[in-house]
Amino acid sequence: MRGWVFTGLKTGIKSTRYPEEEEKRPGVSPGLPIAGGNSLGLVDICPTNALLASNGQVALEYGRCVHCFRCARAAKSAPLDWSSGYEWADLSAKAGETAVEFGQNGFGRSLHVLVVDAGDCGACLSEIAQLNGPYYNMHRLGIFITPTPRFADVLLVVGPVTEHMREPLRKAYAAMPTPKRVVAIGVCALSGGVFVPSFASGSGVADVLPVDVVVPGCPPPPLAVLHGLLVAVGRKPPSRMFVSQRPVEERTPVL
Amino acid sequence: MSLEGALLVLFLAWCSLGALLAVLLSERRNPTALAWTGSLAAVTALCLGGRILLPGSEIQIPLWTLPGLGNLRLSLNPLGALFLCSAATVYLAASVFSAGYLGRYLGHYSLRSFSVLYHGLFASVVLVFVAGDVLSFLLIWEVMAILSFLLVNYEHDKAENTSAAWLMLAMSEAGTLAAAIALLILAKNAGSLDFSLLAAEGARLLPGMRWAVFLLSFFGFGVKAGLVPFSVWLPRAHPVAPANVSAILSGVILNLGIYGIVLVNMKFLPVTLLGPGMLALIVGSITALVGILYATAENDMKTMLAHSSIENMGIIVSGLGAGFVFLASNHPAFAAIAFVAAFYHMLNHSAYKALLFLGAGTVDSRAGTRNMDRLGGLIKAMPWTALSFLVGALAISALPPFNGFVSEWLTLQSLLRSVELHSAAIGSVFAFCGAILALTAGLAITCFVKAFAMSFLGMPRWKEAGRVFEGSRSMTTPMAGLAFLCLFLGITPTYVIPALDKALAPLTGASAVQALVPPFLRSSASAQLPAGFVSEFHDLGAQVGKGYLPGNGLVVLHRGAERNPVVFAMSTSYTFLVLVLLLAIVFLATRLWTTPSHTVVRKPRWDGGIARLLPIMTYSATGFSSPVSVIFDALLHPRRVEDARETVHEHFRTAIKRRPERAHILDWAIFRHLAAAADAIANLCARMHNGRLNAYVAYVLIALVGVLLLS
Repeated sequence: MRGWVFTGLKTGIKSTRYPEEEEKRPGVSPGLPIAGGNSLGLVDICPTNALLASNGQVALEYGRCVHCFRCARAAKSAPLDWSSGYEWADLSAKAGETAVEFGQNGFGRSLHVLVVDAGDCGACLSEIAQLNGPYYNMHRLGIFITPTPRFADVLLVVGPVTEHMREPLRKAYAAMPTPKRVVAIGVCALSGGVFVPSFASGSGVADVLPVDVVVPGCPPPPLAVLHGLLVAVGRKPPSRMFVSQRPVEERTPVL
Repeated sequence: MSLEGALLVLFLAWCSLGALLAVLLSERRNPTALAWTGSLAAVTALCLGGRILLPGSEIQIPLWTLPGLGNLRLSLNPLGALFLCSAATVYLAASVFSAGYLGRYLGHYSLRSFSVLYHGLFASVVLVFVAGDVLSFLLIWEVMAILSFLLVNYEHDKAENTSAAWLMLAMSEAGTLAAAIALLILAKNAGSLDFSLLAAEGARLLPGMRWAVFLLSFFGFGVKAGLVPFSVWLPRAHPVAPANVSAILSGVILNLGIYGIVLVNMKFLPVTLLGPGMLALIVGSITALVGILYATAENDMKTMLAHSSIENMGIIVSGLGAGFVFLASNHPAFAAIAFVAAFYHMLNHSAYKALLFLGAGTVDSRAGTRNMDRLGGLIKAMPWTALSFLVGALAISALPPFNGFVSEWLTLQSLLRSVELHSAAIGSVFAFCGAILALTAGLAITCFVKAFAMSFLGMPRWKEAGRVFEGSRSMTTPMAGLAFLCLFLGITPTYVIPALDKALAPLTGASAVQALVPPFLRSSASAQLPAGFVSEFHDLGAQVGKGYLPGNGLVVLHRGAERNPVVFAMSTSYTFLVLVLLLAIVFLATRLWTTPSHTVVRKPRWDGGIARLLPIMTYSATGFSSPVSVIFDALLHPRRVEDARETVHEHFRTAIKRRPERAHILDWAIFRHLAAAADAIANLCARMHNGRLNAYVAYVLIALVGVLLLS
């Protein structure tokens, strides 16, 4: 402990350089499957019904995939390819013309984020918490967590929106000043995820609020969450995964 | 007869007319009649006080000569006129307020008797200031004490009111007794009852007698002023009286105690020893601290204000004590500053405490409760009352530009002048007392933030909240008037201090105006000041307004020796102007920069997303003052755990019942023991009544023998 100043100086800055440079360290993302191929047997082994048969091809609904690797490790039929990227965030289908286009910076260089836990399991929250840590360090991008909606620009929602969180979520959104964005994090917030619509929880944030940006994953890695925030304010282009339902070409299969 | 004498007679005539009308008119028309006669009497008294105070003159009206006792006379000097003006201002506001307020007693209590007592009290208060000899002073003082007892006991069917009123009367009588002894010592020394002769012969008294006179008069009159340890009656008696009477008790009757102390110790027997001043300073600062601590922890609005009155009396007495010390150590200029600070604070306290009590009375009569834990959100229903109360709260918290700031600032500055006394012991006592007063000022802000916020802001916390409405115009007008008075006294200290100086200069032998308010605007007077000093302050803007403003510059400053030309300086007038300018600039800037795209959107308050915000969930008065109560718990609630052991049953041989006892620190430390001693003495005496005839015959015999031996 005594030499921590010198140790710190010697070690230098270890934070990721993500928005400027691509992050290539192993393990920053669990990856997602790449739709394609005709081994329709995989559709049956998907536990969350994320794989669909479409025109004889295997299609993937990203809003449901919990990257459980079953389809990648399937023994019977040909496994799906796997991508190692993390830029998963996309504009929601309903975002429409209110969405900020890439390059059209809507919020300047300071962004305040209100995180609302609408009934998540804790995984997404722990990934978001990583953003406050020294490695991902979102403060270097001018992004801060705020405890009150009065100062918030972005509402970051995790969880499938349980019955008891429906009204508080609506109130938090109403209490935010305009302009404001809603970012849904994780498959629960996108589609209800493994909880699926039940007596206690809904099927995602879109039932309650107009969602602008969606980030799939269960949980999405911190860089995916960061990408979602940057997409929400137009500082990064969206992945267009949901529009094309296909991952972009440059992703290389790892398995 | 002089004009002043005529005004005094006119005043007494208004009071008599008020009492007469009260008897003749019906109950329903009584409040209006009281408002008219009371305010006319108050205006007459104000004219009388102004006629004496502003030119600094004096009147003497000889009454009659008693054989062997000398002349009885009425006299009014600038000192009495100062107290008279402050009392008349409070009476003016309270009388107008009564017209709307007294309606709540209609049909429950006799308004006729209230009106008679009210006018009687006013007349007796004024006559206390006018009394010119010991006999008439003590007589009228007694009348005043009994009338205020009757008014405190106005709601006589409530047990707590009656016991509070009796406690007040008992302690007041004990104090009067002590003060009477002090006055009689002085009268015996002078061989006359005449006030003017008492002062002339005072120098012959020995130090021992001087101490006795000081202690008897300080604590005797101190009972009326609510000084520690004789302040326990005050927080019980003041809240139970009707609000207009509470305002008079706090704004007028407490000042009478200060008047008594000042009369004896500054006029008749000017303090020449260091000890009395130090004692007054220490008692004053402890009084201030105890008062404000209990005020902060209190949730009943009027009880809180009563505790806060104790605090303000403590600040005044601290200023007086500092003045006594400076006077005894031959620094009349500093003494004049300290006395000016004390008297300024007394004026200020009368103004804002009357305002706050009237505000509390309006809240009480409209909302039906004074408990700050239950109130809340009143600003919507009664905006004018809330605004006036806010001004009073700011003033009592000593925030500029209101009046409390000037006097507390002057008090603390005069305490800091102890560095000129060159004594480590005195310096450390002054520093200690100054620190206590600074703590008091901080706690006062806590106390009044709580008082205003918990009563007027937030959500209503009681059931009948929807039925609250603003006080009638006769209730809000006097409050607004007092609020303006608070602002006026706050921004014109350079005009108030010369008026105070008229009353004080004859007593201290030094003029505070020369030390505090350099007459910059008068060219002839500024010729007396060093040229460099004048030019330096000319650059700082001390002569802004020359030719437009009459009289003095707007800067209060104390000029020291050559090496230290300005010891302290401030100007609330300029503070006020800057404040107004800044607010105007902010207002204009927001107006100019607000374009249609920058519209203001009103959304419901953010409650953390809970389903329904219930009043019980919001911050309460108890919660607000809880940190203070926790830190000062040992002072606020001295606890004595009683372990009662009793044999209950064979198998459970001793049951120990623990009962923590909570009490006021003074009750716990002093009056508990006094009560126990009185009980013990009474029990001892009761043994005499043993019911045997032989014993009674023996008592008669012993008494007879004793009388024969003595004669």
